[in-house]
Amino acid sequence: MAEQTGGGGCCPPMDLFRSESMQLVQIIIPNESAHRTIDYLGEIGLIQFKDLNAEKSPFQRTYATQIKRCGEMARKLRLFKEQMSKAGLLSSSMSSTQVDLSFDDLEVKLGDLESELIEMNANGDKLQRSYNELMEYRLVLQKSGEFFHKAQSSAEAQHREQASHQTGEQSLETPLLSDQDAVTDPSKQVKLGFITGLVPREKSMAFERILFRATRGNVFLRQTVVEELVIDPVSGDKAEKNVFAVFFSGERAKSKILKICEAFGANRYSVPEDLGKQAQAITEVSGRISELKMTIDAGLLHRGNLLQSIGEQYDRWNILVRKEKSIYHTLNMLSIDVTKKCLVAEGWSPVFATKQIQDALQRATHDSNSEVGAIFRVLRTREMPPTYFRTNKFTNSFQEIVDAYGVAKYQEANPGVYTIVTFPFLFAVMFGDWGHGICLLLATMYFILKEKKLSSQKLGDIMEMTFGGRYVIFMMSLFSIYTGLIYNEFFSVPFELFGQSAYGCRDPSCRDSTSAGLIKVRDTYPFGVDPAWHGTRSELPYLNSLKMKMSILLGVAQMNLGIILSFFNALFFRNGVNIWCQFVPQMIFLNALFGYLSVLIIVKWCTGSKADLYHVMIYMFLSPTDELGENQLFAGQKITQLVLLLSALVAVPWMLFPKPFLLKAQHERHQGQSYTALQEAEESLMVENNDDSGHHEEFEFSEIFVHQLIHTIEFVLGAVSNTASYLRLWALSLAHSELSSVFYEKVLILAWGFNNVIILIVGIIVFIFATVGVLLVMETLSAFLHALRLHWVEFQNKFYEGDGYKFSPFSFTLIDGEDE
Amino acid sequence: MGFLVTTLIFVAIGVIASLCARICCNRGPSTNLLHLTLIITATVCCWMMWAIVYLAQLKPLIVPVLSEGE
Repeated sequence: MAEQTGGGGCCPPMDLFRSESMQLVQIIIPNESAHRTIDYLGEIGLIQFKDLNAEKSPFQRTYATQIKRCGEMARKLRLFKEQMSKAGLLSSSMSSTQVDLSFDDLEVKLGDLESELIEMNANGDKLQRSYNELMEYRLVLQKSGEFFHKAQSSAEAQHREQASHQTGEQSLETPLLSDQDAVTDPSKQVKLGFITGLVPREKSMAFERILFRATRGNVFLRQTVVEELVIDPVSGDKAEKNVFAVFFSGERAKSKILKICEAFGANRYSVPEDLGKQAQAITEVSGRISELKMTIDAGLLHRGNLLQSIGEQYDRWNILVRKEKSIYHTLNMLSIDVTKKCLVAEGWSPVFATKQIQDALQRATHDSNSEVGAIFRVLRTREMPPTYFRTNKFTNSFQEIVDAYGVAKYQEANPGVYTIVTFPFLFAVMFGDWGHGICLLLATMYFILKEKKLSSQKLGDIMEMTFGGRYVIFMMSLFSIYTGLIYNEFFSVPFELFGQSAYGCRDPSCRDSTSAGLIKVRDTYPFGVDPAWHGTRSELPYLNSLKMKMSILLGVAQMNLGIILSFFNALFFRNGVNIWCQFVPQMIFLNALFGYLSVLIIVKWCTGSKADLYHVMIYMFLSPTDELGENQLFAGQKITQLVLLLSALVAVPWMLFPKPFLLKAQHERHQGQSYTALQEAEESLMVENNDDSGHHEEFEFSEIFVHQLIHTIEFVLGAVSNTASYLRLWALSLAHSELSSVFYEKVLILAWGFNNVIILIVGIIVFIFATVGVLLVMETLSAFLHALRLHWVEFQNKFYEGDGYKFSPFSFTLIDGEDE
Repeated sequence: MGFLVTTLIFVAIGVIASLCARICCNRGPSTNLLHLTLIITATVCCWMMWAIVYLAQLKPLIVPVLSEGE
């Protein structure tokens, strides 16, 4: 495409610095090979199809029925999955030796399997139900047999008693059944009916009460608790139940009792009155139970086998169905040609994938024996293409940090490149301790070494996040080991790793080392902070001054990098206005103020001057013409400051005014062209579109001007506030080193001082927990967040627009990864 | 070791690392450029950090004053 202009002619385009160049392609596919073509394109996964039927509802589309079929199949598969998990089977991804099924065959097969499974389940349920009923029946038989048996034996005993004593005394225990008359003279017996059954235990009291009330007490109820749980045949759940036997007289009472039984969910079973018959019934029922049991077991085995065979294929089928569904979904996005003989697809694809796509189209044509090949052509468009970075597992997590703020505009400079280094670096400035760095390194090495294993299994939320950012943490730990060496802190303890300290006593007696301090006797400590500072009274003032100045220097450097990237953007998009009216004045403004401050800091360090930098900076604005006096750091400082101040003052209107007017002039030029040559105008507008997205056909000068005004104010104020914002580097690094020295001195050294093993062990444990919990977890998190802020706000607002949209291709690998 | 010598060491390390990256994982010009950018950025960051701390200790305005207890 025309806008393939490299970033600077000298070097090849850098990976990741610009998003891949994209093209809008149109593919005309004959009907007969459409399905296979989309299949092959999905395997490549480098086209993002546009929905050409956006106005149609999902039901009006061409392949709505196929999608419905896919949905139906997915439902069946879900049913199988459910059944399998109920049966305790896991879908094993066995080696798929079977030949690939076609979509239609699979649909038939799934239908068959489903009906077979449903029938089996229904039969199984029926059998199970009658089995449970029989089990209940047997229970009732046994328990009520006990009632009868007990009643009879006690009646006989009483009868004997009565026969011997002949007293009219009647025991309360006398059962109703064994009424003396009934036993003595069966012919006179009032015909008592009885109903036996099972009632849920929690309802048994209410059941009894209602029965009693309904029959006005003309009923005799016996209940026994069944110790083991009984499976209810209706619901299939296990429940606690009581066996009951109700004795009554009369038909009306019977019908009432039956209704009450029904209402209470009490299952009734008829029990023969005669004890002999009862025993017979029990053996009969037991026989049937064992028979049924065998049938059920056989059925279960059969079902298990069926599910097993489904389980072996399940994953493959599931993938196939999802693939088909996505293919039809994509096909639905294509528009149908007027002749109804071919489908027209439009979509974005990276330029580098052209060859691959054409190959796939050819293969599809060949494989589906189509006479006409698919036609592939590149369309010209004014639309903004999607942003696509080819990342690997290392760069991906850094790119995600940037994307979380906003997806890069098409082909704009990607801060992700520098984030790979500067993000862990700024983190480490706040987290400088090589002991903690090593701990972090070990933890992240575990993730990296177990990468293969961990990526396949499911992790918790927090673990997942840590695992995803393992390479970020890896880089962070490496840099914090480095900055830890610079700060000379190992769990807050300094080591003389790089030679002797530069400081020594003034005289051999070291008399005034606690009042006047040590003096520098050797060369400066070659690498990092001199160990002599540790634990001295002047440590904090010294480190504060050092870290504060360091924060400003690092901040100014990073902000300059940001502005330089805006220059590369302007160069890439051939936007001269942005270079001359934005990049140049911004560079001048930032460096005239804060660049100068940085220079002053370095000059002060190198010369050992005692000048007050605050004073210099403040009076540079308040009274620039005054003599500097003792605050003079170098000759000609006054003139330099005047020049810098003036250039900073000039830079502000320079940022504000020229750009809107130049844009206006540019627009008017385009307008003039568009009347003369329509063709050209379209092309130039295309370039225009590329230049500045917020700049459409209608040109609102006031809008542009206000926009520029806001931008200028933001930059001018931002230069101050962003520089101040970098001081968080100082604050957090101070907090970290102070916390770790507190834990070291107040826990570990204190515990050591007691000369007691137990206290020492407790001290060590507390130290470890404090170090891990506070320093390694919480401090890591807070330093991470602050580094994130410095990148998102202070660095990226200098150049990053971040208003693009992500390339989301139609790809099977993405579908497979999705969880259902 | 002076400022310049250590700076040269940093430069040397940067150059060696770039050469290593170029030789060990040579994956086309654009990827190599990315690697080079990363190495240069990392080296500059590390050098800046060291240089700042070194320069700050060059001509000390305050000196370590030992605490009373020691």
